Amino acid sequence: MKIVAVTACPTGIAHTYMAAARLEKIAKNFGHEIKVETQGAMGIENKLTDGDISQAQIAIFAVDIEVEGRERFNGVKVMQVPLQEALKNPEDIFHKIQH
Amino acid sequence: MTLKSNPALQFAFICPLSSGLHARPASHFAEVANQFAAECTLTNQRNGLVGNGKSVLGIIAADIRHSDPCSVFLSGPDAQAAHTALRRFVEYTLAKCDVPLADTSVSSRSNSIPRSLQAANVTCISGIPVSHGIAQGKVVFLRTMALSSTVNSAVAGDLQQELERIKEAVSAVRHRIGERLKYAITPIGAAVLQADLAMASDVLLLEKLTEQVLGGKSAAQAVIKTGEFFTDLLGHSENDYIRQRSIDIEEICTQLLEEVCGASATPTVELKEPSVLVAETIGPQQLLELNRRCLQALVLEHSGVTSHGAILARSLGIPTLAGVRNARQMLTAGREVVVDATRGFVVPIVAPVVQRFYDRERKTLERRKNARYRSAEKSARTADGKTVEIAANASSGEELGLAFANGADGVGLFRTEMIFLGREKAPSEEEQFAIYSEATRLAGGKPVIFRTFDIGGDKKVPYLALPHEENPFLGCRGARLYADHGDLLQSQLRAILRASAEGPVQIMAPMITSVEEIVQFKAAIAQAKQHLAQNGVEFQSDIKTGIMVEVPSVAFILDQLCAEVDFFSIGTNDLSQYFFAADRGNSKLAALFSVRHPGFLQFLAQIVRKIHKHQRWVGMCGEMAANRRNLPLLIGLGLDEISVPASEVNDIKQAISQFQSAACVRLLDRAVACGTTIDVDNLVATQQLQPEPLISEDLVLLESTSQSKEEVIQEMVDAFYISNRTQDRQLLEEALWAREALYSTGLGYGFATPHCKTGAISADSISVLRLNDPVHWGSVDGEQVKMVVLLALRDSEVANTHMQVFSSLARKLINEDFRQHLLSVRNANEVTTYLSEQLGFPLGTTNEAPTAAKRNSPSMHGLIRDR
Repeated sequence: MKIVAVTACPTGIAHTYMAAARLEKIAKNFGHEIKVETQGAMGIENKLTDGDISQAQIAIFAVDIEVEGRERFNGVKVMQVPLQEALKNPEDIFHKIQH
Repeated sequence: MTLKSNPALQFAFICPLSSGLHARPASHFAEVANQFAAECTLTNQRNGLVGNGKSVLGIIAADIRHSDPCSVFLSGPDAQAAHTALRRFVEYTLAKCDVPLADTSVSSRSNSIPRSLQAANVTCISGIPVSHGIAQGKVVFLRTMALSSTVNSAVAGDLQQELERIKEAVSAVRHRIGERLKYAITPIGAAVLQADLAMASDVLLLEKLTEQVLGGKSAAQAVIKTGEFFTDLLGHSENDYIRQRSIDIEEICTQLLEEVCGASATPTVELKEPSVLVAETIGPQQLLELNRRCLQALVLEHSGVTSHGAILARSLGIPTLAGVRNARQMLTAGREVVVDATRGFVVPIVAPVVQRFYDRERKTLERRKNARYRSAEKSARTADGKTVEIAANASSGEELGLAFANGADGVGLFRTEMIFLGREKAPSEEEQFAIYSEATRLAGGKPVIFRTFDIGGDKKVPYLALPHEENPFLGCRGARLYADHGDLLQSQLRAILRASAEGPVQIMAPMITSVEEIVQFKAAIAQAKQHLAQNGVEFQSDIKTGIMVEVPSVAFILDQLCAEVDFFSIGTNDLSQYFFAADRGNSKLAALFSVRHPGFLQFLAQIVRKIHKHQRWVGMCGEMAANRRNLPLLIGLGLDEISVPASEVNDIKQAISQFQSAACVRLLDRAVACGTTIDVDNLVATQQLQPEPLISEDLVLLESTSQSKEEVIQEMVDAFYISNRTQDRQLLEEALWAREALYSTGLGYGFATPHCKTGAISADSISVLRLNDPVHWGSVDGEQVKMVVLLALRDSEVANTHMQVFSSLARKLINEDFRQHLLSVRNANEVTTYLSEQLGFPLGTTNEAPTAAKRNSPSMHGLIRDR
């Protein structure tokens, strides 16, 4: 499965990046292809292109704040969870996606 | 101003003092007025209050505040002379004659009680910190001074006898204060005692006392009535500063009473063990009476932060809280308490958690002090390895202790005139020798530059009977006085020469403008040497002689002067005021008066170049040197030495390592080419600083015994404080807790990553702590935390290059191998090395700094992606 994701936390110093790393790792275990955009203290990195988004079957938002450029995801199935979920139970997120 | 025809004269002025015309400046005013027979009345036009200008009490009772319009009336035979003298005093001296207080700003943070104490519900009684510090001791109460209760109704005896008793008492109290003044150990302490002395000598006080006796009162009753009269008068002032003076007058009256009754009326206590003194108020003399070895802290109910007792306590470094309401009811005599006069509260019951907190706090403060001491030991060096001597300015032996503790490389300016001021006759050779030789011994082999007395200008000395100056700064001052006061100069030179037998002493002359003057000065040294040699007294025969560069003419005869002297010290305060023809005390001219004026910088650059051409040594004392902002320019000038106030030495030494000397030279070149001072300021602001490394071993704590999340965070914040990365622990701690409040930073697997972005730190930093026993952190997986990795980012406008390292670290923490490695490290060095390798950032080195290109390595981005 092709997945895109966005992580963002209020200070953007630590958890945005930890969550991104976590999602990337677990997705691989599940055999998914994932690209994670981080919206942290360094601004947007690893930005998702329109191409990335249109090819994805689902977008995961692991965020505690509003996603920047949310309109980019119109027409895509979005699953939004608190960022902590990506650290706590990332497997759950992927289980839910499969169902 | 309106001038009336003789005999009454009048002039008006606006009070320039921010604290109003309070006791200390008033004593100077009255001193001038008392030199004349003419009557002097001072009227405050704002409130219509009229005071006797010859009386400190009269002046302060007029309640003159900052910007109040005032007028002075003079009448009598010498009214004209008095008018001239007072006008001059008001125009030139008044604004400068208030000793600036040490920072009196008091922290008003609503909640300064440490988290771990809050969590344990520890009772804290808050107060206003007036003198910072932490102390522990047993509570001792000091009775309040109460004039009326101390004396029974003594019957008035013979009128003449009672008057005589009053006179004797006044003179005895004056003598008492005078004796204390001799041993005043800080400038502030001396100023406070001088104000007391002026009050005890006050004409209005004596008038009131006499009036009471004439009215049939006994001497003792007269003192009580007079005391009540003045405390009432001052106590009703709208000015807090002046209200505080009622404590001082009460104390003086209590002392008068002691003299009159021959019994002790001042409440005193004998301290025998570490004690915390609790009182409503305390007078300065009462404070000086106490056993300082046992006195750990002062807790005052009265809220006056500007009372002379509080000011004195601060100058003596006694931790003091004021405004502790009902302290005497809430505290128990003989009970052990902690006074935290830094955070602003008293802990009345020292529970184990309190003891634990303050034990750690003491260790932290000790370690910070030691760390600062160690860094002070190193010589100041720029990032590219150029050494600059950092010396201290001093005017007494006491200041030297701090100077050398802070790592001063010597004394760049010992202002000897301070020994000559505020006294009735000149200090003897022996008295001076004692001071100079003590200073030389304290310097322990480091050079001490004694500047011979620089009197005149704004520094007046009554016993020299100096002629009246129309324009004191352009008059007879510094070396210009030496011809007329040869004996005084000789005794000083002999005292300095004798001290030179004990260490590397150098002599410096002030206000030199010509070659002739230095030739004469050297002849005077030769004469003093000859005198000593004839008497078989030891001294350093090749003692180095130098001059202050403070008159612009000197800059144009440096070739000639270099043949005459060994060294130079640039005194920027006077040099700039003569350079710009602007009185540095005149705030209206402040805009004209910047040492960062491109012309002035050009002038300094020429002076230094010329002196170095002749291989002579040149330093800088004066305010320009003490301002950190000027530091890159001073490094650019290539000065051999920078001499700053003792308290600044360590900070300036540390700051120097953040600059590249080559870059500073280029900066100065560009600065002198600037059009305006503002352009220079902007240029200096863009100067790149050498950043501190992201992590250092003192931020790695591998054997933590902390027992809670609160203690862990505190311990890590303390590490920042010890390594001088934060000056404001509370602000840093609050920033971390603010982040924790969103949701716990416990990320699971026994790891937590508290983090924040804050202005409380001086450098972006990573700190690592490993606990001996895990603590609760509220982690996502509910597990306790064993390892804490703290990320602190500086809150600045500029884009932060370290953020990439931080995000990279955050990602790596998800990696089990990375976590395991951190858990298994054996020492701090392994942590710093591992992180620096894994995250690709440089560790600090003392001299060889990484280049800018290295710091912003293009490969860094790749590293982050390479997980």
